[in-house]
Amino acid sequence: MPDWKEEIARRLAPLGLGPEREAEIAEELAQHLEGRFEDALAAGAPEAAARSAAMAELSDESLLARGLRRVERSGTENLDAPVKAGRLGFLSGAWRDFRYGVRKLARSPGFAAAAILTLALGIGASTAIFSVVDAVLLRPLPYPNPQQLVRVWEQAPNGRRMNLADPNFDDFRAQNRTLAALAGYSGVWPVSVAGGSEPVRANVAAVSRDFFRVLGRQPFLGRSFAADELRVNGVRATIASYGYWREYLGAARDLSRVRLAMNGNLYSVVGVMPPGFDFPPGAALWIAREADPEIPGRTAHNWRGLGRLRDGATLEQARADLDTIARRIRAEYGKQADLAGAAVVPLAEATVGDVRAALLALFGAVLLLFLVACANVAGLLLARTSARRKELAVRAALGAGRGRLVRQLLAESLELAVAGGVLGIAIAMGITHLLPAVLPADLPGQKGIAINATVLLFTLAATLAVAAGLGLVAAWRAGGADVSDALGAGSRSYTSGSQWARRTLVAGEIAATLVILAGAGVLGRSFLNLLSVSPGFRGQDLMILKFSPPPSASSLRFAEKSPRQIAREVQFLDEALARLRAIPGAQSAALTGGLAVADAEGFPDGTFLILQGQSVPANYDQWIRMAQNPKNTGHADYCVASGEYFRTLGISLIRGRIFDAQDGLDAPNVALISETLARQRWPHEDPIGQTIYFGNMDSNSKPLTIVGIVGDTRAEGLDQPPSPIVYVDFRQRGLSVNVSPAFVLRTSLPASAIVPAARAVFHALDPNIPVQISTYAEALGGWLAERRALALLASVFAGAALVLAAVGLYGLVAHSVARRTQEIGIRMALGAQRGDVLLAVVGEGARLAAIGVAIGLAASLAATRLLSSMLFEVKAADRLTLSVVAALLSAVALLASYIPARRALRIDPIVALRQE
Amino acid sequence: MAITYMETQPANLEWKKGSAELLILSLVEHRPRHGYEISKLIEQRSGGAVRFHVASLYPLLYRLERRGWLQGRWVEKDGQRRRRYYRLTPAGRKVLAAQRRDWRLFVEAIGRVAELDHA
Repeated sequence: MPDWKEEIARRLAPLGLGPEREAEIAEELAQHLEGRFEDALAAGAPEAAARSAAMAELSDESLLARGLRRVERSGTENLDAPVKAGRLGFLSGAWRDFRYGVRKLARSPGFAAAAILTLALGIGASTAIFSVVDAVLLRPLPYPNPQQLVRVWEQAPNGRRMNLADPNFDDFRAQNRTLAALAGYSGVWPVSVAGGSEPVRANVAAVSRDFFRVLGRQPFLGRSFAADELRVNGVRATIASYGYWREYLGAARDLSRVRLAMNGNLYSVVGVMPPGFDFPPGAALWIAREADPEIPGRTAHNWRGLGRLRDGATLEQARADLDTIARRIRAEYGKQADLAGAAVVPLAEATVGDVRAALLALFGAVLLLFLVACANVAGLLLARTSARRKELAVRAALGAGRGRLVRQLLAESLELAVAGGVLGIAIAMGITHLLPAVLPADLPGQKGIAINATVLLFTLAATLAVAAGLGLVAAWRAGGADVSDALGAGSRSYTSGSQWARRTLVAGEIAATLVILAGAGVLGRSFLNLLSVSPGFRGQDLMILKFSPPPSASSLRFAEKSPRQIAREVQFLDEALARLRAIPGAQSAALTGGLAVADAEGFPDGTFLILQGQSVPANYDQWIRMAQNPKNTGHADYCVASGEYFRTLGISLIRGRIFDAQDGLDAPNVALISETLARQRWPHEDPIGQTIYFGNMDSNSKPLTIVGIVGDTRAEGLDQPPSPIVYVDFRQRGLSVNVSPAFVLRTSLPASAIVPAARAVFHALDPNIPVQISTYAEALGGWLAERRALALLASVFAGAALVLAAVGLYGLVAHSVARRTQEIGIRMALGAQRGDVLLAVVGEGARLAAIGVAIGLAASLAATRLLSSMLFEVKAADRLTLSVVAALLSAVALLASYIPARRALRIDPIVALRQE
Repeated sequence: MAITYMETQPANLEWKKGSAELLILSLVEHRPRHGYEISKLIEQRSGGAVRFHVASLYPLLYRLERRGWLQGRWVEKDGQRRRRYYRLTPAGRKVLAAQRRDWRLFVEAIGRVAELDHA
């Protein structure tokens, strides 16, 4: 018996019915045909005749489909009813389009999956990066009227911004007419704090009286500093952050009994700031800047300025106002002041700083990737639309208006885009979870990175834009469908317009990919350059133990220390060093007052006098007078260290000697200088034996005699030239709040074997000392984090774009090979060589790649220039990088064309010709 | 609502479509029947003058069903495969009555015109 169902199913296929409905109709109709067949047999007809009688029921091929199309498409509605006017009609029409679209997409799951995944990748990546842009750049600062907040600097004659010196700050504060308030604050520095639930190394910031008023935030518990707490020798008070209060003060509502020991003083906790208040970033405790005496020098740039514009005052007015005051100071104090003007910058801009350019570059890259993804999907859609021209033409012939078809196509692309958007949000959420591992830890606003309403709005906008764009592309192509044309032509009908559009898309994809590749390339090269720069010491197998000196061993900021105090500190530190050295696997241990490279701003720097036989200046005025002669001064980073420091890090001694036992507390204080400083300051004479004088760098103002020259380190960062450094012996100078002390340990065992023993050493010495242990490699990694994040993310985007562009090109060439099967078959039948065919097919891809690469190179030259501020020892228009990425992209493009070309070679002319 | 459909269609379409609908609705007026049965009955009762192909019969059945004039149901009888039977719904019954009346009027009118012409 003939398989009626198969015959029926074949005729039903163009309808795209759901499988259930199709089976139901096939069953019912098959029974009908079978009834007719059996009745004919029963009437005595031969089987063949009975069979044709039954088949005649199906009439011509397309009649059944045409008859059913209008009924089945309508769902339960009456399709023949006049279209209802107004919103309901539109909605039900839209619903119909939606369901039809879902069915159509479900029938080509491969296409739908490829399109949705590609869009999800593009939308997900850009949403994730946008969430960072939103958190870091777009979200207003969490203070009232944040646009009024400004950072204030003194400006050197060369334009360099400098923090405010005490007397200058006072003048700015008293004389300005554009600021509602001006405050000064220090950066945060780690201090051992005892008195909470456990001793911790907490970040403390000193802030001036108007600090909280400027920011417009007050403690939510307790109060701000009172007059009594805002003077030298007044009552010591501190304000805690919400986090510190919760964690170490047990969230106590009653603060009256809470005292904290810091720097050898007891502080009452008078207030707690509300959650989310984090300025300067990382501060756990705020203390009053006024509790310490002012430093009279107008060149001691210690305070960061923070102001709030008066209502109605503009940024420009404030700039002009403070600039005038600065010039007045300069006129009045001459060389005692080194400022030439003032800089006023919105706080939001100042906070973000260099990150803005990096983030925008990243966002640009991800948007390009997004465009590449969209172009890919548009290409897929175009291919599909040409394949569907027949269907569309039939529908048009059956009375579907052009508007109706366009609406249908829009519905389909909307479905694709929405599915891609939803999946994209999931991807973005995944990425934002991973981002903290990649982004630099000190990125401002990082904590706020989240997929929030703003970000979702961005995603929605992107999704709708994609839907509209794709729908219009498809509709534009479909609109060109001529019914008789489409119906008459075979399924491989040549649609030159569509091919042209796809080629344009693919060339565009290649160009955009090249731009991303070039950007990632120069950033990557810059990063590699940095990695290949020697810091000046061996960073491997080094451990770092950062600690705060015990409160008893510390002293007031900048107050002179007595020899007994120093001796006590040294005894403690020596004991610690001896015990660390005794840990199995520790080869040597040393003390340093700052971590070269890893803690780039860890070293204080200052101007020193070269005494040349003169005696130490008696007072500040004399210091100023002596410093007037540039021959008498130098400038260097200042590093407290132990003699073992140089051997432990592998910094070579060039001449002279290292600190040793003869440099006791009572002996003349000695110093080592770095090679760069020797070359800069004493190019023609021997620095050894020279005596220099810094003034008060470390609570100790004895002059220093240079006894040796050591190798250079790039202390301020791998991208900086080697720093001029003066090393002093901790056994003579002791520690001060101006240093961030750490022990460094060279080990022959893995870090994990050393850490517990090192912790035990500290615990045994003084359980109140908080210590932070890491390897030097980790600390360096922190310094490199920002550049690594940028290079890494850019490379990931570049890789994704490369894959998408390759897939796009592959799809285009493969489609073209499939379309030209017959043509290729004929050519081969007529004697075309394999090489000719290969060349023809690969040539198509190669032409596009060449056009794309050319456009991309031109665009890259413009785009990478935007990166130049982020590059180290590589030019934005780096010829090598551009050549390599262009070659890489071309190679990938050729490969993507070669794969379908090989398929073309396997075409059997006979089979190809038999088709259609 | 069902009636308005007929009133809004052009007359010639109404005649063809309407006749087919009338035939089907009449055949299921007293008992449910399956598609092949309907098609056979139309063929037999018209003496072979009217025939519906599968390709035109079923789209029409489905359309009448969608309009709510017929209700189709799969019915299993002992020892037989299940078949889909169509039954007239109350709405269909009203339509049938209206269509019968229209047809009667129409045929009478035709008859009158034809007699006049013969005269």
